Amino acid sequence: MIRDGFLLDGLILILLWGAVSGAWNVAGGYAGQVSLGHSAFFGIGAYSAALLATRFHQSPWLGLLVGALLATVAGLVIGYLSTRLKGPYFGLATIAFSQVLLIVASRWRGFTSGSEGIPVPFRPGLWTLGFQSKVAWVYLILGLAVTVYLVARYLETSRPGYQLAGVREDEDAAEALGIPSRRLKVAAVAASAALTSVCGGLWAQYVGFVDPFYVFSVDLSVRFALNSIIGGIGTAIGPFVGSLLITSLETYLRATFSDFKAGLIGIYLIIYGGLLIVVVRFVPQGLVGWLGERLRAVGRYARA
Amino acid sequence: MLELESVTKRFGGLTAVKEVSLHAQPGEILGIIGPNGAGKTTLFNVISGFYAPDAGRVRLDGREIGGLPAHRICALGLTRTFQLVKPFGNLSVLDNVMIGALTRVRAVDRAREEARRVIATCRLEAFAKSRARSLPIGLRKRLEVARALATRPRLLLLDEVMSGLNPAELVEMIAILRRLHGDGVGLIVIEHIMAAMMRLAQRIVVLHHGEKIAEGRPAEISRDPRVVDAYLGEEFVLADA
Repeated sequence: MIRDGFLLDGLILILLWGAVSGAWNVAGGYAGQVSLGHSAFFGIGAYSAALLATRFHQSPWLGLLVGALLATVAGLVIGYLSTRLKGPYFGLATIAFSQVLLIVASRWRGFTSGSEGIPVPFRPGLWTLGFQSKVAWVYLILGLAVTVYLVARYLETSRPGYQLAGVREDEDAAEALGIPSRRLKVAAVAASAALTSVCGGLWAQYVGFVDPFYVFSVDLSVRFALNSIIGGIGTAIGPFVGSLLITSLETYLRATFSDFKAGLIGIYLIIYGGLLIVVVRFVPQGLVGWLGERLRAVGRYARA
Repeated sequence: MLELESVTKRFGGLTAVKEVSLHAQPGEILGIIGPNGAGKTTLFNVISGFYAPDAGRVRLDGREIGGLPAHRICALGLTRTFQLVKPFGNLSVLDNVMIGALTRVRAVDRAREEARRVIATCRLEAFAKSRARSLPIGLRKRLEVARALATRPRLLLLDEVMSGLNPAELVEMIAILRRLHGDGVGLIVIEHIMAAMMRLAQRIVVLHHGEKIAEGRPAEISRDPRVVDAYLGEEFVLADA
């Protein structure tokens, strides 16, 4: 068993960012609604958990539930937008939405503590989601990751999942075949929002501090999308493969460049950008799809 | 079973379909012909729920369907294909057809079985695992029919499923449509290939500038002076004679 705190922390973050990215993938991959503002839902979850604990002295579990409900409502609104706005316009609208929430959270000082952010109190116990041991967190976040993975598998094997694939491929054709395309899209975006919010709530409990400029950032939204695109958009395991790569890379870069002057702090952005270009240009189906093709090719070669 | 009463559809100042009335009997093959821009596809879009009519009534089995969303109309038993085919390009032929079957059959396994049967009816077995995108146009047209058929329509609207086919594919498509007719599926067919239309349709409606200018059996239509004038031209009559 791994006991090294640094490694366990890395494992937790890989699973957590993979899970958020998997939640993003429900809308961005399976429903084809590429959102660049999913940090909105992540932030809703983080703030719900933090505020319920600090302002109302409730269990963070209740915070997760409240966050999921609020995010579902927000997801229904954004989902409705997806039936009106196509492609890049939808993406821009989602960015705007997350930025509006950022402004609210950073200005509403009396309730959210504004730009100072909220420290999440640590109270040991399962009911209060406070664990001294990182191993407990590994299990909890693993459970989250498995849940997100199973939702994705459901979308690959179930009636609504196949119908959603039809809507993603061609909405008019899907409608003509009797599929209520708008309802399905809205439902997918709302489910994606709720899952993202739960991830945000657990993240807040794990990290112990909610900063509006981080949880509502475009950076974070891009990261959710990036993990999926690099790992394999619209696949169940893709977001986790992407997260494994990106999260370990980030941890490594941070450790390596932490001694350098401020000029190199943004270097991870250059590396993300470069990776994205390489993947979109050479392996648009993502690493999972690419590996699958390689394995099939090897299989054919072996049989021949 | 399908009844249109003075259906009108306008786009700004342009009246694409003007007071068209027509009806289709159960199990009948009705042809719709007319020059480009006559309003044939617009009429299909109105019937199948993609446009709401500006005036007039569309009734299916006596029930008003004008303005209902397309998926509701499909659930009532009327499905259409698209002139510019719209396959689910990244999915396999089997998945394409299965998504159609899932409209009636809720269990995925049973929908897949049903899709296999429909694929066999449409002679697409050899391509069941191919990506829809990779098919040549002739097979994509056949996939378009297969997918619509999987929703078990009582009335199927076919928008130029025979255009762009080579002679062998054309023969095959006509055989498929005849078989559907034999199974009791009503067909409304838009087509430019007159020879095929004359052989297939039991009745033909002619549209011109959005209006119905003639209706009747193929033999009557091909001799109707207004139709010859507007659409067929002198040579067709001579060639036919």
